[in-house]
Amino acid sequence: MWNPGNLMCNANPNRGTGCLRSRLRWLAAVRPYLYILPSFMFLFVFTYYPIVRSLLLSLYEWNLSSQMRVFVGMDNYRRLLFDDPLFWQVMRNNALYAIGTIPTSVALGLLLAVLMDREIAGRSVYRVAFFYPTMLPMAAASMIWLWIFTPGYGLLNYYLGKVGFPDIEWVGSAKYALLALIIVAIWKYAGYYMVLLLAGLQGIPHDLYEAARIEGASSWQEFWYVTFPMLSPTTFFVLVMAVINSFQSIDQVYLMTRGGPGNATNMLAYYIYQTAFRFWDVGYASTLTSVLFVILLVTTAAFFRFLGRRIHYT
Amino acid sequence: MRIGLQPKRTNILVHLILLPAAFAIAAPFFWILTTAFKDRTEVFSAIPRWLPGHLVLSNFAEAWAMVPFGAYYWNTVVVCFGLLAVQLVTVTLAAYAFARMKFRGNDTLFLMFLMQLMIAPQSIFVPNYLTISSLGLLDTRLAIMAPYFASAFGVFLMRQAFKSMPSELEEAALIDGCSGLQFLWRIAVPLARPSMLAFSLVSITHHWNEFFWPLLVTDTSRARTLTIGIGLFAQSAEGGAEWTLLMAATLIAVGPLIVLFLLFQRHFINSFVQSGLKG
Repeated sequence: MWNPGNLMCNANPNRGTGCLRSRLRWLAAVRPYLYILPSFMFLFVFTYYPIVRSLLLSLYEWNLSSQMRVFVGMDNYRRLLFDDPLFWQVMRNNALYAIGTIPTSVALGLLLAVLMDREIAGRSVYRVAFFYPTMLPMAAASMIWLWIFTPGYGLLNYYLGKVGFPDIEWVGSAKYALLALIIVAIWKYAGYYMVLLLAGLQGIPHDLYEAARIEGASSWQEFWYVTFPMLSPTTFFVLVMAVINSFQSIDQVYLMTRGGPGNATNMLAYYIYQTAFRFWDVGYASTLTSVLFVILLVTTAAFFRFLGRRIHYT
Repeated sequence: MRIGLQPKRTNILVHLILLPAAFAIAAPFFWILTTAFKDRTEVFSAIPRWLPGHLVLSNFAEAWAMVPFGAYYWNTVVVCFGLLAVQLVTVTLAAYAFARMKFRGNDTLFLMFLMQLMIAPQSIFVPNYLTISSLGLLDTRLAIMAPYFASAFGVFLMRQAFKSMPSELEEAALIDGCSGLQFLWRIAVPLARPSMLAFSLVSITHHWNEFFWPLLVTDTSRARTLTIGIGLFAQSAEGGAEWTLLMAATLIAVGPLIVLFLLFQRHFINSFVQSGLKG
């Protein structure tokens, strides 16, 4: 490491009369903290403090309509576990949404990436066609899809009708509303994952494929024994990101279904919003927020464990 | 499987899969585009019309008259670029410290920074709303920006850039009497420009498109942004089921970003790849 304190004494004689070695050394020691301070300040106010505050508030009964704050210990958690069937429905919806969205969009992204990893005509046109949903706000995506899903004259039902499906009430029925959200999410994220995975593919060294070919591997074997293992860090990273995103997704729910019909599409983030801003129950909303933290923490921890243990490649 | 090694025949097969996929994914945007130029009655035709019978331009004027887009545009631009300006300062300073300086607790502090990647500001909206409210910032543009002033993702990205700089550069600069912030500003920042661009594009896209947090902390067109504009328009009585107007409004809101994306698609896509994360 360089030592600016010492060097500056020689190089910068106009820095005051006596070369105040100790003062400069002190400055050099403090400087990194000064550089970090602005970021840290904002992180403190909008990340650390609110996390701790949520955990604390989850132990209180605090409804903004009554303004009374009473310490209730673990009561909110008890309510969540034993007295709130809606919480379990929300978790179930969120899990279904994650299961429906993530494997499909990542698999689709992987398929597209593998196909795009070659010299073909119109490559950049394909990339734009697959990636542009990432650039669209979920607000716009929800709008257009609401219309595409409209029964009677919507685009989707028209073409599904052509292949023999009946007119489906997508967003308005408890049976299909969650599936509608899943379809939109797959459409929105597959191209983004494709682009990330494609970058991962292009980072795989050529000679591995040559070696495989010399060994007489089929293209399926090549994929399974070379591409797939070499790509697993990227894939896993994409998966974790997708899980984290799925538990934080709220725009879509708010804009397309408002959690309905009959809570069929209510998911964790939206439920937190309802609890806090429709019922003004800040205590319980904080409890739900703490549950969200635990989910995010466990997902990330599992990721690092997995990364440390399983994905070894040389 | 690799570039240049496959026979022509497989390429045709590849197109056979890619082409329908591209059409399916592009269709919704094409649908926005054509509907915005359609006559109101065409929307309800039993057979979908992929092209408008004749070009109706009045949808845009009508949508513009119904939604205060002027204010929304201004707010969105101020939020995106104001936020970016602050982020570039906080991110550059912190990233530089983490990349090039040794100090006690740097690993712990860095881990604490990365925590924001896991628990993003939008998932702690309840306590953040309380904070914004008690600071008296509700219904201001500052409220929309404040939780993002620090960006762990940006710090992470810029740290990589600063790390890859040769240390001889620093020593040489020191000998020439260029030190500390001067070095950072004159030499390190220009060298890290590609990463800065990547971060900027991702940040602008993210905040141009953000919906829920801005909706939560704003009440009037004083601070509201474009995405809230279209979201609320869709749920209003005049906007609901008026698909031609809605699609025109959507185009007005997403237009600039989409045009920029089409012009500089390589830059945008590479930025998102480099980041791998959302801003």
